[in-house]
Amino acid sequence: MLRFLNALPLFWAILAIPAAVMLVTFARDPVTAFDLVHPSGEFSVRMMILAMMVSPLRAIFGRRRWLDWWLARRRSLGVAAFGYGMLHLVFYLYDMGDWGQIAEEALIFSIWTGYVALLIFAAMALTSNAASQRALRRNWKRLQRLVYPAALLIALHWIYVDGEWQDMAMHLVPLLVLEVARLIIMFNKRSGRTGQQLAPR
Amino acid sequence: MKFSQAMMAVAAATAMQFAASPSAEATGKMKCEAGPQSSWKSRNDLEAKLKKDGWKVKKSKVDGGCYEVYGVTPEGQNVEAYFHPVTMEKLLVAQRGKIIFKK
Repeated sequence: MLRFLNALPLFWAILAIPAAVMLVTFARDPVTAFDLVHPSGEFSVRMMILAMMVSPLRAIFGRRRWLDWWLARRRSLGVAAFGYGMLHLVFYLYDMGDWGQIAEEALIFSIWTGYVALLIFAAMALTSNAASQRALRRNWKRLQRLVYPAALLIALHWIYVDGEWQDMAMHLVPLLVLEVARLIIMFNKRSGRTGQQLAPR
Repeated sequence: MKFSQAMMAVAAATAMQFAASPSAEATGKMKCEAGPQSSWKSRNDLEAKLKKDGWKVKKSKVDGGCYEVYGVTPEGQNVEAYFHPVTMEKLLVAQRGKIIFKK
């Protein structure tokens, strides 16, 4: 029973619940696309944050069982972030309903930042499998690290579309704090090592 | 090292974007000093007027003492627009955070 509850497919099903609710809402009344643009984007960010949190937490707490559990689900969270990003795009496109206007808006800073972030998510999601990992070797990790510029683009996308920064900060500042803590730990470790090397024998 | 340089470049580009476009370009919420709500025109009146003028209204609400309308202009642009609740004057129109009209 516990093994069933801990299985990945069940985890995927849980991640898909908000999407299911949104899709049902949309199917019942397509006019709601306008109201679904924001929540679908927010869920994309939340999935991204949950995926990104694992590394700094490991740097801070070291290897822990709960972090191993989380790490084993990082790929699912990342792919879910892309899924919600696509849903966000679909609701946006439906709400716009005019290709000319969609093209016009694509040139606005607040909008193209979103497109670029989604492109990065797409590249990451499409290579989120063992075969791509083997084929890309060292480049695979480089590609996945594009999540950092993507997160920055998303923060800008959010601020500029909303015209205010509070909602964005509420989501992304905790992650930023973790990343800063991780950088401090990395820096301390590195300077500790060079200190030893420089010490006279 | 190369990666951290790339991140620095992104950070610099971001800083430049902020410097180049003053924060005023993000809508920044509009404020209206329009007195007591009892003297306001109704939101329905505003919506009706906008529809007559060729707008499509998706949603409207009170924000910062103004009426805020999400909709489509007669030119077809998807915007967030602010109106004075007494005079119904158009105060600010932003297209995805980019200000395209300001009184």
